[in-house]
Amino acid sequence: MSVKVEVGAGGIPHNQILIYGLVGSLVLIYLTYLNTVTNTQYFAFFGGLAAVAALIWGTDTIKHLCSYGLGTGVPSAGMIALGSGIIAAIFGATTGIFAPIVTVIIAAIIGAVAGLMANHVVRMDIPVMIVSLIELAIVGAMTVLGLTAMACGTFEFLGMITGTVVILGFAVEAYGASVIGGSIIAVIFMLGAIAIQHSFNACLGPGEQQDRTLMLAAECGFLSMITVAIISFAFIGLLAALVSLLVSIVGWIYTYTKYIELAKRDAYAWLDAQPIMEPKGGA
Amino acid sequence: MSALSGPAQTGGVQPPTAMGLILSIVLIVVALALAFFLVQMVGVIALVGIIIGGVLIAFGVHFVPVGGAPAAMGQAPGIATGVAMLAAGAGLAGLFGGAWAAPFGLAVALAGGTIGGGLLMAITCTMVNVIYIFGMGIPAASGKVAKDPITGDTFPEYKSQGTEGHGLPFISWVGGVIGGALGGLGGTLIYLELLDVYQAQLPVILDVTVEQIAPVAISLAGIFAVGMFLMNAVLAAYNITGTIEGPHDPKFKRFPRAVIAAAAASAVAGIFAIALLELVGVF
Repeated sequence: MSVKVEVGAGGIPHNQILIYGLVGSLVLIYLTYLNTVTNTQYFAFFGGLAAVAALIWGTDTIKHLCSYGLGTGVPSAGMIALGSGIIAAIFGATTGIFAPIVTVIIAAIIGAVAGLMANHVVRMDIPVMIVSLIELAIVGAMTVLGLTAMACGTFEFLGMITGTVVILGFAVEAYGASVIGGSIIAVIFMLGAIAIQHSFNACLGPGEQQDRTLMLAAECGFLSMITVAIISFAFIGLLAALVSLLVSIVGWIYTYTKYIELAKRDAYAWLDAQPIMEPKGGA
Repeated sequence: MSALSGPAQTGGVQPPTAMGLILSIVLIVVALALAFFLVQMVGVIALVGIIIGGVLIAFGVHFVPVGGAPAAMGQAPGIATGVAMLAAGAGLAGLFGGAWAAPFGLAVALAGGTIGGGLLMAITCTMVNVIYIFGMGIPAASGKVAKDPITGDTFPEYKSQGTEGHGLPFISWVGGVIGGALGGLGGTLIYLELLDVYQAQLPVILDVTVEQIAPVAISLAGIFAVGMFLMNAVLAAYNITGTIEGPHDPKFKRFPRAVIAAAAASAVAGIFAIALLELVGVF
């Protein structure tokens, strides 16, 4: 698709967003470890917040990369991000307490290989390609790890593959009733992919504003969080899942109203059209 | 932004750089050595299967007639969406077919995957032409060749002025089916190789039966196959840069670059997938 991609100038520098996104998502994902420390499940929602932080950063990276005109559409960047990210996220999860850090390192390796291949073998010759694909792989990995941690309350592999089912009042361990065993991971993959590829694809063009695009990214992240919070009822306690759902809904309402405000600010004119009412008693 | 011009569009096909070629060979060799070191001969065979699968995916993507946004307006031939979307559709349909047939043995499963991917593309291409011809009223005409290599139909008298051709000529239909079949075959091959590795290792590590762990093994192999599929498909999409008509398109000759890139990327992603369970319980 040879559609010219236009992006707005100005806004927060990309490197600043990179640092906030990386550190923010790492810290937030480590906060879910409070579940293990305090032996509760109320802190699972921090995983989703980590995913939102990563998604905001990833959207800015996609904006950076796609301004070079890849010719393949914006969603392809989101697809490669989650495709390489999910491998890193699950591999990283097997390393226990080090999971988030190992995930970042593995994702950087896979992203670097994909970037080097894209630039030196496929000959895209885009200056930011390697760095962008490294960033996108890390974003994809943190999104998957964060949302998975939110669904099952832990970022450790054994917690992801074991679940419990209650048969005749007895809790029995079952591998099928877990995030990975139940293939919930595939749903999380798609929720992350949609969240990362939508915002810039929706906002690109003349008059693109960074704050509006990033606000939409956060809104998409919270929307995915709501779904994951509903999924998490199956894996974590009722109250903990309710806390997750509440945080997601509050976050989504806030970012959605903010996004509409920003869209009104950037629009040339805004008409609050009312639905056409049918006259009473028929026309 | 100053770099809106996109990647350098020089005449002919730029060959991969020496650095890129050496790097990909080194990466593949290192990955194979690591696979042997970690999982012995079984690992090497699995990784070779994964690399072949990745190469099949990247090669198959080049057959698929991708039209992108211009095709949606009837200004270019092909299916009106991006490479990543089409490849994901065909590959995942193939993967479902292959995964369903997995218990019947390697040959039946691979055939199931191939037919699944090919069938999805056959249906898609047929319905695309039904919409083009009966819905939009545009005949099929290629812009890249004067005569259909299979049917011998001529195109120039049907091609509208100012377009690059439109509709979906028979050669593109055949290309789409071949591409879908190759993608389905590659995705299924990756899935089956990973499933073998996990079904052998997981019961030993967790001390359970193969039947108990089957949901986790199937889910892990499936999600990794999806991840690697999307990585390879996007690298191939970057190679095509946007639109391609099918096997008769001059851009088709670029496929060796994508094959090399996909082999190296699959090797690196594959080694992490194969070595996934090496670190479980270490930390």
